[in-house]
Amino acid sequence: MIHFENVSKFYPTKQGRHYVFRNIDLDLPTDRNIAILGPNGVGKSTLIRMIGGTDMPNEGRIRSLKNISWPLGLQGGLQGSMTARENVKFIARIHGYKNTRPIEKRVQEFAEVGKYFDEPVKSYSSGMRSRVTFGLTMAFDFDFDVLLIDELGAVGDANFRKKSEELLLSKYETTKLIMVNHNIRELKKFCQTGLVIKDQQLHFFDDINDAVELYQATYVKNNVK
Amino acid sequence: MTTQSNNTNAAKRPPKRSHWQIMCDVIFALIIRELKTRFGANRLGYFWALAEPMAQAAVMALIFSLLGRSSLSGVPVALFMLVAILPFKLFSKLLPQLSAAIESNKGLLGYRQVTASDPIISRLIIEVITFLIVYLLLMSTMAWLGYNVIPDDLLELLGVSALTIIMATGLGLMLCAATTWWKDTGKIVSMVMQPMFFISGIMFCATMIPQQYWYLLSWNPLFHVTELSRDAYFSAYQTPVGSFEYLGIWAIASFTFGLMTFQVNRQRFITT
Repeated sequence: MIHFENVSKFYPTKQGRHYVFRNIDLDLPTDRNIAILGPNGVGKSTLIRMIGGTDMPNEGRIRSLKNISWPLGLQGGLQGSMTARENVKFIARIHGYKNTRPIEKRVQEFAEVGKYFDEPVKSYSSGMRSRVTFGLTMAFDFDFDVLLIDELGAVGDANFRKKSEELLLSKYETTKLIMVNHNIRELKKFCQTGLVIKDQQLHFFDDINDAVELYQATYVKNNVK
Repeated sequence: MTTQSNNTNAAKRPPKRSHWQIMCDVIFALIIRELKTRFGANRLGYFWALAEPMAQAAVMALIFSLLGRSSLSGVPVALFMLVAILPFKLFSKLLPQLSAAIESNKGLLGYRQVTASDPIISRLIIEVITFLIVYLLLMSTMAWLGYNVIPDDLLELLGVSALTIIMATGLGLMLCAATTWWKDTGKIVSMVMQPMFFISGIMFCATMIPQQYWYLLSWNPLFHVTELSRDAYFSAYQTPVGSFEYLGIWAIASFTFGLMTFQVNRQRFITT
């Protein structure tokens, strides 16, 4: 379970506080995959970052006894001035691995970025970045109970997508996903439950179809009009 | 070549760690990362890190020796310069390094294991160790050249160095927070540090200045650092200006204020 206890989050703007979430009390299950739905700017990435411990709520707190990954996405996670190998070593070290070589090897094999593995990450294309980011989770043997994925699959080519999909599905039993993606079809493939962000609140649905319905009722129609 | 089964064994999940162990792991990882990016470009990297302050100190010492002054207050001029240049270098290296510590490790703060204070601590460790190595190397070279390099009051010398480090850390923490509000803070720091080299008593000492002008320099804590260092190193030199109380107040005040601003702004390090 991931417990939200009276969580509020705002960003200071020139027009005062912009609340993204207000007084959220919620228990999210961690035994099923959750899709997060909402249009751009509604707070999906903020939510993922807060669950991942990269960002802090302004009020309240988020607790969990589960082992939750850092947010896997295109933003952050990898330091641009370091090579992929150095990034991998760093991450392995902060997770307490003394011998980083096997992890390096496995990320390298999975990412298939060739000699760019030893070039600074800032010289990568976004597809290459996502390959390395994804390779990282795979190399850690998925010792996470929950994997946070923030629109990671969107940039990969067909071959890589297939590979990462297979990987995710094969780990289904032990590792659950919390996923942000704008492709509803993709979300339905992985997730059984859904979370819609609406009016600074989180609405959780046991069935993803209900979540998609609410999402389309609130956001899609309005946008079309 | 390792086999597949070997691979999986070696990457097995490490046991649960205490907070302290996590912090040590993170700082170790950050130190390696810093050394790599700073010196990794060529294999002589760390050599240059040591050679640069050594060369600077040696050149200054040489110039003054060639000017015909072989001794100041009964101390060989080269040694007299070195003892002041080294702590000044320590300070002027620490300040920009610490104030940029968070900015240049931003991407890594995304991992929950890494807290804002970790890059500061790692850079502090790197700079202090480099300082010690440079100090020892230079003094061994001087000893080899025939100078008497044993400090007369080692404890006092260590005390001055410690206060210098504390003061630099405090100011560094403040500048770190300032950088999140205003990106160009670093430029101002380097602008301010330039003239400091000339007014911090590196090329002169208090006894060379008429007493009525001391007040022009004695506000500067770095002047106290160099004065006290010499006072500690050479019993022949008695500083009339350098005061442990003054330097100590600077160190404690800036460290306290630095920790405060750092703590107040810690959210900004992650989110902005």
